[in-house]
Amino acid sequence: MRSIRASSSRRARGLVLALGLATAGCSKELPAPIPTAHPGDPTPRHGGTLTSATFGEIRALDPANMGDGLVPQILQSMFAGLIDYDLEGKIVPDLADHWTASEDGTTFRFVLREGVRFHDGDEVTADDVKRSVERALHPSAPNPFSSYFASLAGYDKFVAKKSDHLDGVIVNGRYVVTFQLDKPDSSFLPVLAMHPLRPVCKSGGDRYSDTWLPCGAGPFKLLPGGWDRGREITVVRHEGYFRPGLPYLDAVRMVFHANLTSQRFKFATGEQDLLRDFLAPEILKFQADPRWKPYGEYELDKQVAGVSMNTEMAPFDNIELRRAVASALDRDQLILIRASNLRPAHVPIPPAVEGYDPTLAGQQFDLPAALEHMKRAGYAYDPVTRTGGYPKPIPYLTYSQSLDEYMVQVVMQQLARIGITLDVRIVNYSTFLALRGRRHETVLGPAFWAQDYPEAGSFLEPLFHSRSINDEDSNNSAFYANPRVDELIDRARRDLDPARRKKIYREAQEIICDEAPWAFTHYYRFYAQWHPYVHDYKPHPMWTTDPTRTWIDRTAGRIAARSIFTGDALAKLFGDGSTSGARGAPRSAPP
Amino acid sequence: MMGRIARRLLWAVFVIWATITLAFVVSHALPSDPARMVAGAQARPQDIARIRKELGLDQSLYVQYARFMGRLVHVARAADPAKDHATCAALAGPLHLDLGKSAQQRRPVVTILAERLPRTILLALAAAFVQVLLGVTAGVIAASRKKSVVDNLAVSGSLLGTSAPTFVIGLTFQWLFAHRLGLLPLDGWGDTAFDHARSVILPALTLGVFGAAYYTRLVRDEMIGQLGQDYVRTARAKGLSRSAVVVRHALRNALMPVVTIIGVDVGTLVGGAIVTETIFRWPGIGSLAVTAVLDRDGPVIMGCVLVTSVAVVVSTMAVDALYTALDPRVRAER
Repeated sequence: MRSIRASSSRRARGLVLALGLATAGCSKELPAPIPTAHPGDPTPRHGGTLTSATFGEIRALDPANMGDGLVPQILQSMFAGLIDYDLEGKIVPDLADHWTASEDGTTFRFVLREGVRFHDGDEVTADDVKRSVERALHPSAPNPFSSYFASLAGYDKFVAKKSDHLDGVIVNGRYVVTFQLDKPDSSFLPVLAMHPLRPVCKSGGDRYSDTWLPCGAGPFKLLPGGWDRGREITVVRHEGYFRPGLPYLDAVRMVFHANLTSQRFKFATGEQDLLRDFLAPEILKFQADPRWKPYGEYELDKQVAGVSMNTEMAPFDNIELRRAVASALDRDQLILIRASNLRPAHVPIPPAVEGYDPTLAGQQFDLPAALEHMKRAGYAYDPVTRTGGYPKPIPYLTYSQSLDEYMVQVVMQQLARIGITLDVRIVNYSTFLALRGRRHETVLGPAFWAQDYPEAGSFLEPLFHSRSINDEDSNNSAFYANPRVDELIDRARRDLDPARRKKIYREAQEIICDEAPWAFTHYYRFYAQWHPYVHDYKPHPMWTTDPTRTWIDRTAGRIAARSIFTGDALAKLFGDGSTSGARGAPRSAPP
Repeated sequence: MMGRIARRLLWAVFVIWATITLAFVVSHALPSDPARMVAGAQARPQDIARIRKELGLDQSLYVQYARFMGRLVHVARAADPAKDHATCAALAGPLHLDLGKSAQQRRPVVTILAERLPRTILLALAAAFVQVLLGVTAGVIAASRKKSVVDNLAVSGSLLGTSAPTFVIGLTFQWLFAHRLGLLPLDGWGDTAFDHARSVILPALTLGVFGAAYYTRLVRDEMIGQLGQDYVRTARAKGLSRSAVVVRHALRNALMPVVTIIGVDVGTLVGGAIVTETIFRWPGIGSLAVTAVLDRDGPVIMGCVLVTSVAVVVSTMAVDALYTALDPRVRAER
């Protein structure tokens, strides 16, 4: 007996040690920020590499082929456009010195800056602009944004291969190019400021090619071998960049497939300068720590999410049932799933997007109203006796490894209070996308949308216009159709006056919130944290990051790892890492 | 002899064909759309349709299958234009292997596999080495000192090793050896041969510890059985030392099941140590396969299936050959 107890005790101690090792990485303390080398000196310094990481990866690196959400961060550093979004989200000239628009909103004439050089040294001219547009919109290019430019004159003829050139892009001299539209389109400039039509070097050719080394006129360029697929990408300073003195950094590096724990460890030692993928509770720790708070910032809310109800299928062809769901969801409770990233949503347009109206109440949590809507729908429910309600469980389709896997559990509880039971079915993401977009297939499920460009039409048209209903791949996942909403969205698109557009969008949102094809739940926003030695870093409202003006002032590279062979070994092993930055000796020379 | 080898090779070809055909059918039967995954979650239907056509996914399943199998292994003619073989790898002389182009990366799948395979093989072999070294050593020592403290430690350790999920072991090693002690790289693959050698240690240890735990139990049980056999007593009676009996006689017989399992293990490891590759950002076949499946990148999925099936078949055949070398009775039966 004695030996057995002793053995058990040894095993228990071993187990405790192992558990300690496994959990000690989640230290309550945060590492110390790595200070700037010259505090109080605001003069930007040249040099250094800004390193960030992501758990994802980019699949292609060409403005004419950008199907993933990460690539804009890299494209922004490599490809300059005629126009761009500034840090306030306003459209400003970039390669264009200036532009003029005709009064009817169908002609846009851009005058290019002279002497701007591509990465290969060639000058950017109007011919390059036209060639790049035709290259990106030609049907041989896998460009998922092609149809966004359908208002260009001659677009249909060009994509049908009935013409070798796009009539709507006219070269008026070496530095002047005109875009001619068939009809007024308030989304044209916002869409043009995105990446797909940005000028590419002559090596990019007239037509898209998979084997091209990406080359543009942005502040950073890609050297051969700079992109190690699936591992990392490094772009280096374009010495011929047209803005004098910029960029300050020697290089920008992004590491792919980095799990959250690795990123956190590397950020602690300064191997990684920016942190954006957090273990959820750590955002709050960073925000609560006065050492770190000045060096973190939320990005703008650019995504809306909710519960999409198929208006063509029972039971949600019953508008009162949809209203009941919209009133039954307590958004303030739902966002506690990830309080650091979510904000409650009551309307379809996120706060950072043109068309958002803070005076619009939208959908609000109101349990008595929800019960009243259930009654009007013919499914009265008594919460005291728990009798009545919708008689059958309603299938709810969601996908694995998503935030919604957690959120739906709260949604189920909230809908149970009005007599609605959900039957949750979980599939993988690609299957979810296919089933959600198929007509008469999915009754209920999560829905989400991120802005393509910061204007209400970027949300309302794909999600709630009847034109966006298709038998397959329907972005209007609620299959919602209302002629009045269609008319308002179309009118706003033709109207070039922002104030009038805002009124139109308000009316459209009022109808959508009332008829509830979606029950809006939350907006998602990311948080970025950086070390104090990273200067002039600001999350970009469109591209997440734009490192053109960021600079680094750092005395050391990676903080040296600590040795356990001196001093108190256990204290070093299990002690907090809060002093790692202060104690660590420089391992490499200043950048 | 030659007839037996030919039969085994034909059987191997059949197994590989059946595997990739099954994978092809299953991947196309799923209700998901590769073109949608290429275009992005927010792409418009007209753009998705154009990309679907460009990828050849608008063709029927039969046409796609016939095109895939027709190109998989084919003979290249000198008169063929270069673009006809832009996605091929030469197998032997004019015999080419063509797995097509990745829908997501838009690169030849053979190029992607050629980048990933050496890394995966390095990890698989290193992990197998750790498994065998730790597992066999611990198993032999435990069996030789049955019911001792060492035996109890080995049994408990193996229980812990088999019970702990790979991600717990991996994250613990990462935290301890890389983050706290700074002895080894946290993750990645590195740029030089020295970097590769250092980078493989933690993922190989993670996989190795997990596998070694099982090997320890297996070898221990086998060794205990063998050490009780008459031939062991005879050898001892003839005056052979204890270590000579254990190593030269009992161990050789106890290794037969280990050889069987290691063959399957190596094949499986080449197919991808998915969790370990993900934790350590190891750019091998496993992480590639996961990404391809999530993205519904058909050509890459088929490439990963082909690599895995070939690895399992080859390792199984190697085990068969090793059996013959290790056990005279097998030679006699054949």
